[in-house]
Amino acid sequence: MSEADCDVVIVGSGPGGGTVAEVLTAAGKSVIVLEKGRNHLLSLDPPYEPLRHFSNDEIAQTRRHLLGPDPLLEPRTYRRSPADGKRLLVGEVNNLPSTVGGGGVHADAKLPRFREEDFRLRSERGPVEGASVEDWPVQYDDLEPHYAAVEQAFGVAGEDGPAGNPFAAGRRAPFPMPPGPDMPMAVVSSAAAERVGLHPYRAPTGANSVTYDSRPACVDCGFCGGYGCPIHAKGDPIASLQRALRSGRCDLRPEALVTEIVLDGGGRRATGVRYLDLRGYPDPPVVELRAAEAVVVAGGAFETPRLLLRCGLGGDLVGRFLTYHFQTFTIGVFPEPTGGERGRSVTHLHDDFMIDSPAMREAAREAGLPWLRGGVVEHGAGPGPIGEAMNYPTGEGHLRSMTDSALRRRLWVFTMQGEDLPQEGNRVDLDPDVRDAWGLPAGRVTYAPHRHELAASEYASPIHEAVMTEAGAELAFSATLPEPVSRHVMGTARMGADPRTSVVSPEQRLWDVDNVLVCDSSVFVTSAGYNPTLTLAALARRAATLLSS
Amino acid sequence: MFSESERTRVGDALDALVPGAAAMGAVDYVERLLTALDHDPPRIWAGPDEGKPWLALGPWERQAWASRIDQLRAVYRRVIDGAPEPGDEQILHTHACEACYGDPAYGGNRDGAGWGRIAFPDPLFPPARS
Repeated sequence: MSEADCDVVIVGSGPGGGTVAEVLTAAGKSVIVLEKGRNHLLSLDPPYEPLRHFSNDEIAQTRRHLLGPDPLLEPRTYRRSPADGKRLLVGEVNNLPSTVGGGGVHADAKLPRFREEDFRLRSERGPVEGASVEDWPVQYDDLEPHYAAVEQAFGVAGEDGPAGNPFAAGRRAPFPMPPGPDMPMAVVSSAAAERVGLHPYRAPTGANSVTYDSRPACVDCGFCGGYGCPIHAKGDPIASLQRALRSGRCDLRPEALVTEIVLDGGGRRATGVRYLDLRGYPDPPVVELRAAEAVVVAGGAFETPRLLLRCGLGGDLVGRFLTYHFQTFTIGVFPEPTGGERGRSVTHLHDDFMIDSPAMREAAREAGLPWLRGGVVEHGAGPGPIGEAMNYPTGEGHLRSMTDSALRRRLWVFTMQGEDLPQEGNRVDLDPDVRDAWGLPAGRVTYAPHRHELAASEYASPIHEAVMTEAGAELAFSATLPEPVSRHVMGTARMGADPRTSVVSPEQRLWDVDNVLVCDSSVFVTSAGYNPTLTLAALARRAATLLSS
Repeated sequence: MFSESERTRVGDALDALVPGAAAMGAVDYVERLLTALDHDPPRIWAGPDEGKPWLALGPWERQAWASRIDQLRAVYRRVIDGAPEPGDEQILHTHACEACYGDPAYGGNRDGAGWGRIAFPDPLFPPARS
């Protein structure tokens, strides 16, 4: 195809797309990466240095949509079930950043691996009524070398051996870096957790503990979760994108909204994409790109199914089996400040509620379920001061609440990223009426948790409240989020070995158009209870390696 | 953009929600937001340093902010006229909180007074405060 613009078009520049770009360009392929969001991450001219747009600015990054998407331009809609009608709300629904670097920019970079059991949940634990619990077609051993490679690429600081996570999956190489400094309150909460019988450990984190890959060590500024890093101590995904660009075989185009995957006359092979060049206003020009080999879709588990559904690709299961992490917060209010203003948001985790135990079996039995799994639990600090202030009543009590600061300065929180069981009715589809600024149908979420998630949350909460009390909290309570505001979005283009029950093959190719690959968390079969980024990147690396070979 | 009497009315409304907000520059914060697009680059996102004090908006982002600011101007007009609608108070509460506890780059939190009264440490990497 001499007229092709590149070998592979990649839609999305986050951890999945960035990883694919790095692997393919290293293998000699030419790629064009299309990102619908704007670029605040790195110069597009050699040597591709950071733009350094980010600062410790709660207003720009958490209030004014610097990282996108702006809900006035890209509204999403939500309902719990079809019984709610077309939608319950229009606005922000599970918004991950829409910007060069995608979800990797805002994350606090907790990068745990999944465990062996997470890939064969059906075999290990068995089915659950009302859920679609299946094994993955890829197992941990298949992914282990790719996990190791993306840990090196992003730069993950962590601790293995006797002091590490006792439940961790096997690994053949140490972490690239030792863990960074502990947050002082995490040391206190970890000690209390151990006294209650839990097994906390230092979180694998994609923030440099030492100078790594020519990027500086994190200085614990405290603006981590939800913020772009001012000094790029977080390596995901700027490191991968820089290496791809420096190969000379990568063209990264921000403000490029892909509207269509173009097929050949037979409809079984993609020849490229069409996109809107959003630098044009008010009539953005349509640009067509031809790819000699493949189109990789890596827009995240919300935007990827939205694109596939618009194009009529992937079959009837596209968008279905949407999962989140069902987040349960256990909040401890302490008599003294917890020091959460500095640090990397979270420095310690524990996995105990991912592990089968007689007590969890009993709790499951009481809930009428065959088993329960919670999720990884993050020991973390509270919100920024604006976020705190919004929680308090107005008027005379406001200043007293702010100076007392029960919900920030004296707060410590356990966040359980609870495993969310896949259900066919939980999905992303196209809203029948709401459109984005360019006339494309908005994505619509239909989602309600399975009772498993609620039971796991109810099981873990009193234990975490006891840990908070043991750590010295004068008050402890738990809460879950009533609406899907989790930024961990997965499972909307499920991978499998059978085209009747999955959207993509084990090589992450669409069954119906096999030179279209999906390389983001859409392909997850189950959500596990671990932060998804490292696993989606490892999968993307594996798929890109297979593609390039 | 507000007259002196209008500034007083807006300040009183913000103070009623977050006492002390006006003294910390909350009216300036609101005025800067409502006139943000009168500048180039618009004063929506503070930049990282004095060499780049404000980050540019893309054309579509500018469209979104123009729409948002139009709506906010209508809110403050109603507040000044003494005829607020349901939902207006929540917007003023949001602005009062942002003005008191956001970065001084945006016109509020005068001299860091908002952070001072809650013992919030000055950031290591603040945006430009031109």
